[in-house]
Amino acid sequence: MTLLLALSSPMLSHYLLTGAVLFTLGLIGFVSRRNLIVMFLCTEMMFQGVVVTLVAFSAFHGNFTGQSFVIFVLTIAAAEAALALGLVVLLFRRKQTLDSAAWSSMSG
Amino acid sequence: MQPQLVLYIASVVGAVALFLLMPKPGKDLRILGGLLGAATLGALWLVLVPLFLLGEGGMINTGFTDGQTPFYYVFSSISICAAVRVITHTRPVYAALWFVMVVISSAGLMLTLSAEFMAFAMLIIYGGAILVTYMFVIMLATPPRGFDEKDDGPTYDRFASEPMWASAAGFLLLAVLLSVVFQPMQPNGAAKADSDQVVIRDIFTERSNAGENAALATPSGNPGEPLLDADGQPVLNDAGEVVMAEELTNVERVGLDLFQSHPLAIELAGVILLLALIGAVLIAKTQIYNDDDDEGTAAPLPDGPPSTGATASL
Repeated sequence: MTLLLALSSPMLSHYLLTGAVLFTLGLIGFVSRRNLIVMFLCTEMMFQGVVVTLVAFSAFHGNFTGQSFVIFVLTIAAAEAALALGLVVLLFRRKQTLDSAAWSSMSG
Repeated sequence: MQPQLVLYIASVVGAVALFLLMPKPGKDLRILGGLLGAATLGALWLVLVPLFLLGEGGMINTGFTDGQTPFYYVFSSISICAAVRVITHTRPVYAALWFVMVVISSAGLMLTLSAEFMAFAMLIIYGGAILVTYMFVIMLATPPRGFDEKDDGPTYDRFASEPMWASAAGFLLLAVLLSVVFQPMQPNGAAKADSDQVVIRDIFTERSNAGENAALATPSGNPGEPLLDADGQPVLNDAGEVVMAEELTNVERVGLDLFQSHPLAIELAGVILLLALIGAVLIAKTQIYNDDDDEGTAAPLPDGPPSTGATASL
């Protein structure tokens, strides 16, 4: 039992798995949800997966560039949230709906 | 059994589970989906028990300190389950709240990686700032909904588009990612201790206490133990005391890396934030035309009377 516990203690693969699952779930949500706000929420979840992966690599290799990069991921996420949510409010005022299909005419 | 095979089975089961959990018309099979999802999680944890990852019967140096095993599994399970709820919940407000749960449990994962600064930055910036913005926008831009329990929101919230193909494609990606992840690899646990000494030598000796720490020129040794010079002798300072090897905290390491290696990138990040601020203000000031309005006149903005019931309810 002790051996089993020692063997199953967290290592890099564990955190990469969590990051990959979070990224994938965010991707699926972005593709399949139709609410514009939830779609952007799902992109934030993809960021979360990437961040977990970066921090895991950083801690594993003792190289802190990964954690520095998380700062920039946060920066981009904040900028994206500000701009995207502004646009979403604009689109909602135009058509009174958050359905992404309402704007399908933009695809030509 | 090969770990790859378990991974592929788990991916297929997970895709089916997510398809069943997705909001869609027809028979409600969410309980079955939940069970299948739990089975997927169990299969993934099974792969993680590194009986599969062992080489020729040898122990693996995990590279992490022991004693955090339960926390990893708890936080990881919570974050994955909450992530599933984010993409399956039919009400955007609850989806946002579940995303807060994802953020919190990810911060817990980062704590187990001893990345404290990242964990709390995540909590403050994501859970605090960004999600509050999302909540505001959700409340601003959600059509009014009746008090009737049967009224479960607009159709675009109740029904996902193409949940089957989305799940299939997503879990195909997951299978590829995980089969790459679970190649046995050689961890490099001692990397941090060594690079700490390099940083202490290269940077701290250039500071005001350079003379005091001049003996650190050839450092080695684990934190908390005496620092050894190139000959293996303990290093003495000017007062004749044994110099102990130092350890840098997480914040110190991140700050050093950030401001030493990426000063230009920080400036650019600031510029991006400024541009996003200007852009958001410009977007918010834009006069928009309501498509429901046949004359195509400008929709009344802040001061004008609200034109529809949706805006009236704000």
